[in-house]
Amino acid sequence: MKKNLRLSIIPYLFLIPYLFAFIAFRFGPSIAGFFVSLTRWNIVGTPKFIGFSNYFELFGDPSFITSLINTLYFMALTVPALIVLGLLIALLVDQNLKGRTVTRTFVFMPYVIMSTVVGVIWMWIFDTHFGILNYYLSFFGIKPIAWLSSVNWAMPAVAITTIWWTVGFNMILFLAGLQDIPEELKEAARIDGASNWQIFWNVTFPLLRPTTVVVLMLTLINSFEVFDQVYVMTGGGPSMATLTVIQYMYFQAFQYFRLGYGSAVAYVVFAFLIVLVLVERQLLKKVGES
Amino acid sequence: MKFRSGILVLLSLLVIGMVVMAAQPIQLTFWGGWTGPDGDVMRGLVDEYNSTHPDVHITFTTMQWTPLFTKFMTSAAVGNPPDILGMHGPDIPQFAALNLLTPLGNVISNAGFTATQFATTAWNGTFYNGVQYAFPLDLHMNAIYYNKALFEKAGITPPTDWISGQQFLDMAIKLTLDKNGKNPNDPGFDPNNIVQYGFGLYSLNWHAFLQWYELLAQQGYGFLNQQNTKVDYPSDAGLKAWQWLQDLVFKYHVSPVGATNPLNDFLIGKTAMLEDGPWEIPACQAQKGLEWGTFPVPQVFGQKAVWGSGHVLTIPVQNDKAKMQAAEDFVIWLIKNSSKWALSGNIPAFNTAREYAYSLPGRTGFLEGAPYEVMLPRIPNEAEVFSAASVSPIVVAGQDIMVRDQSILPVMEWMNNQVDQILSRGQ
Repeated sequence: MKKNLRLSIIPYLFLIPYLFAFIAFRFGPSIAGFFVSLTRWNIVGTPKFIGFSNYFELFGDPSFITSLINTLYFMALTVPALIVLGLLIALLVDQNLKGRTVTRTFVFMPYVIMSTVVGVIWMWIFDTHFGILNYYLSFFGIKPIAWLSSVNWAMPAVAITTIWWTVGFNMILFLAGLQDIPEELKEAARIDGASNWQIFWNVTFPLLRPTTVVVLMLTLINSFEVFDQVYVMTGGGPSMATLTVIQYMYFQAFQYFRLGYGSAVAYVVFAFLIVLVLVERQLLKKVGES
Repeated sequence: MKFRSGILVLLSLLVIGMVVMAAQPIQLTFWGGWTGPDGDVMRGLVDEYNSTHPDVHITFTTMQWTPLFTKFMTSAAVGNPPDILGMHGPDIPQFAALNLLTPLGNVISNAGFTATQFATTAWNGTFYNGVQYAFPLDLHMNAIYYNKALFEKAGITPPTDWISGQQFLDMAIKLTLDKNGKNPNDPGFDPNNIVQYGFGLYSLNWHAFLQWYELLAQQGYGFLNQQNTKVDYPSDAGLKAWQWLQDLVFKYHVSPVGATNPLNDFLIGKTAMLEDGPWEIPACQAQKGLEWGTFPVPQVFGQKAVWGSGHVLTIPVQNDKAKMQAAEDFVIWLIKNSSKWALSGNIPAFNTAREYAYSLPGRTGFLEGAPYEVMLPRIPNEAEVFSAASVSPIVVAGQDIMVRDQSILPVMEWMNNQVDQILSRGQ
């Protein structure tokens, strides 16, 4: 009996260091953040309780609304591309083809580069007057595009950078998922006369569902929390065309020292992500059932 | 016996410990936002002080100004601020209003410093509400950098003093070339295929606003009212200032639309002139093959005026008197020995130190501009009103006018309203 009790306690003991760090540095500050969002506070001095005023101000703040719309636009540009491309590349490098290891490495390599370095590299590539991209486009008679200084092009440019930078991560996850699918199932389908497309659609894709759920959820959350590359490449401009919610939160909290207001932004983002994940889970459940 | 020996050993250890403690130098921390070659110059000065003052050891830390101030606020909130903090004159009010800075008027006068020993703008920039909170270290202002080779090629003699807006524009037109070698005034000039621009200016960041601000000052106006509570300038003057800048880009085609890296464009010879501050001097010096010089910004309107700022040295509030004294001693030494600070590109505020800057190459534009420098208004919520962030109304207005070629008056009105809203909210 005693031995059983000891055995059942041991796993929890292993969890204690992590739980301690989680509570001290994640959970605790998150709860505190909610109370801060109900105050007016500039870090120094005593916070002044103002109820939900920050939240009311937030929803009437055009810059916040702009940042929210921009973030959704960024998600629309990146999430489908990152999922589809990640899956396609994973399917490609899962084949028994020559050079697949090299391809895997090349596709994944950008992911290990620091976000600031990625931003700086692409700033050079996207330079309107002297960038390499416009130089190559000029061979096709395309006039120089102001990638990072035009309201229309800045967000797509950041999206292209993000896709290049992070698609390798999705590829690795899909690849792991693909390699978990027993070869016998595909083999059986092939013997039954299924075409490659039928095998993919009826065997591979349904069995990849758990991986797809994870990849989709991670990509959605990461896209919603986009910050670094925008901060480096455009700073959120021009004319707020690439301003995202996390950036807006950063400006309010750490540049303007409006901790309460910044925390309110953080809590709205949190609520938004919860809703997003719940909707996604429901949708995928329905797809799975059908 | 054993007991007595034990006591003796303990006492000896205590005495040794006290002697060792007493011999330890006082440890000071010094934070500043000099992240470029200017940081190396400051580090050199700190090292010199450390080597000549064995009783004190200063640890110098640099990071960009914005995160530096965030770090300062958080460290001050928990009672652990740096012993010396660099900042700009206009940054003082936001920290002084929160009682985070030590008033230094007595320390400065006891050290024998007087207003007449410093550049007036720099000295005035250390006060807030009549109280002096900082030692003035330097001035830095806009000037025009020029590429000597491109000027020579265009047959232009570079100016050494203030010139009019028209003279400047004529030069910029001559220095702008399309792929057929035509200038913007020539028939058949192709604005879509310009290979060399006459003038590079910052239109994507807050410098567009600063250039506008100096043009407003050239017409004799400030941006805010006397009490710094509301935007207050004649819209006609504001319009004329923006119009001059917008025309350089969209009417005369002498400046590229939305240049993402104007400094780089100048360094590689794609633009012949650049309006920027002295912090770019080390980059120009490091660029192989670039022969460069500076002259003051053009006087487009009735008065001479140029936007500028100045670094100052503050001593954050703390309880350790010995450390505060050591910090004051260091800052006094630094000001007296600030001639070497001119190597960073900044113009020393201390008159005798500034003399050295005259002997250094490429300083003409800055030294000629220094007497006419205008700083931004001094307000507690400076971080938000004069923010360089993309959400800042002054940044958005600059981008709307200078990059998107939008109609000036509505944008200016929007900017004024936004700034008024921030001002009314307070710190």
